[in-house]
Amino acid sequence: MKIDSGKKVRTVSGENIVIMQAAGMADMTQVVALNASAMELYNALKEREFTDEDVVQTLLDIYDVDEPTARRDAAEWVGQMRKEGLIVA
Amino acid sequence: MRSYRIGGLRVAVTGRRLGQALDRMPGMTPFVNTRLSRFDMWINEQENPEVPEAHEIYRFQLAEERGTCTMLADKDGNLAYRFDSGSVLLHDRFRAGDVFLDWHGDLDELRYMLWLAYAHEALAYGAVPVHASAVVWQERAVLCLGESGTGKSTHTRLWVENIKNAFLLNDDSPIVRVEHDGVWAYGSPWSGKTPCFRKERYPVAAFLRLRQAPDNSIERVPTVQAFVALQPSCPPTLAHDEQCMDGMVDFIGGVIGQVPVFLLDCRPDIEAAQLSFKTIFPF
Repeated sequence: MKIDSGKKVRTVSGENIVIMQAAGMADMTQVVALNASAMELYNALKEREFTDEDVVQTLLDIYDVDEPTARRDAAEWVGQMRKEGLIVA
Repeated sequence: MRSYRIGGLRVAVTGRRLGQALDRMPGMTPFVNTRLSRFDMWINEQENPEVPEAHEIYRFQLAEERGTCTMLADKDGNLAYRFDSGSVLLHDRFRAGDVFLDWHGDLDELRYMLWLAYAHEALAYGAVPVHASAVVWQERAVLCLGESGTGKSTHTRLWVENIKNAFLLNDDSPIVRVEHDGVWAYGSPWSGKTPCFRKERYPVAAFLRLRQAPDNSIERVPTVQAFVALQPSCPPTLAHDEQCMDGMVDFIGGVIGQVPVFLLDCRPDIEAAQLSFKTIFPF
């Protein structure tokens, strides 16, 4: 899988957000906010192909967590990112 | 040539036909700049401004059955707008401060084209025409945001009628500008159906995003929701160009870092106006 490089993360007053262009909705803005750890993963994994296992490993590298926790958090992050369309393929 | 000062920016408009049209356009006169000066932007009349190898990036319906407008971009980031009337507006990326305009529609279309041209050029100065109804109380501006028909004008009218010394600054598109000494709201020549063309500026006390509801309630929203509240009230076409979007995100970040944004669920009644007033000015 890969992070969709077409969707840009922007910083607004210290918050990391991705603005989703809602087609046809003139007066609606949808925004996905990334918290600090979601952002760390995003930065570590952008611009390359990665697997579920890479996500787990990245979490283990960055944070002082045990493997089951890392697996659970990794699955959750991938699920959320997919749901929001920020991860492609 | 005509010379205006809008949102603190010095605007030059060239071309005999455009000049004559602007002299007939209600709302422009208060903004005439009589002092000779340098200009921050030039809106130039030009026949058939070239839009080489541009592709469509966005298409939208114009108000009042004036047909469609197509937004185009080329690979270098030049932007153009083509109207059904044959009008074209070209924003040349490599000539910052210059917009080229070929106008074939009616006066309302020209008014809209000027608004678009201004929106593109003003962004570099941290200024954006915001879709809002703006009211002033004791030298401070409050801007009501919301989709058309939500009751922005009704809410500001309730302020004007019920709060002593409150008055309308602009009813459709005040200019909001992030400056070194705060966030300011300027009156503008674009005020919708209400002729309210004030060449004045006031520091912004708050933004209110309105939503119709059976009961009145108000809450201040944190950063991300504040962004979501403001962004749809900025010129929609800017969001379709990456570079404009960057400018707009900087602008909104600057605004919400300094000015509170409230969500106001409201009825069109006096109580709603009193609630928003007392929340913004609690003394």
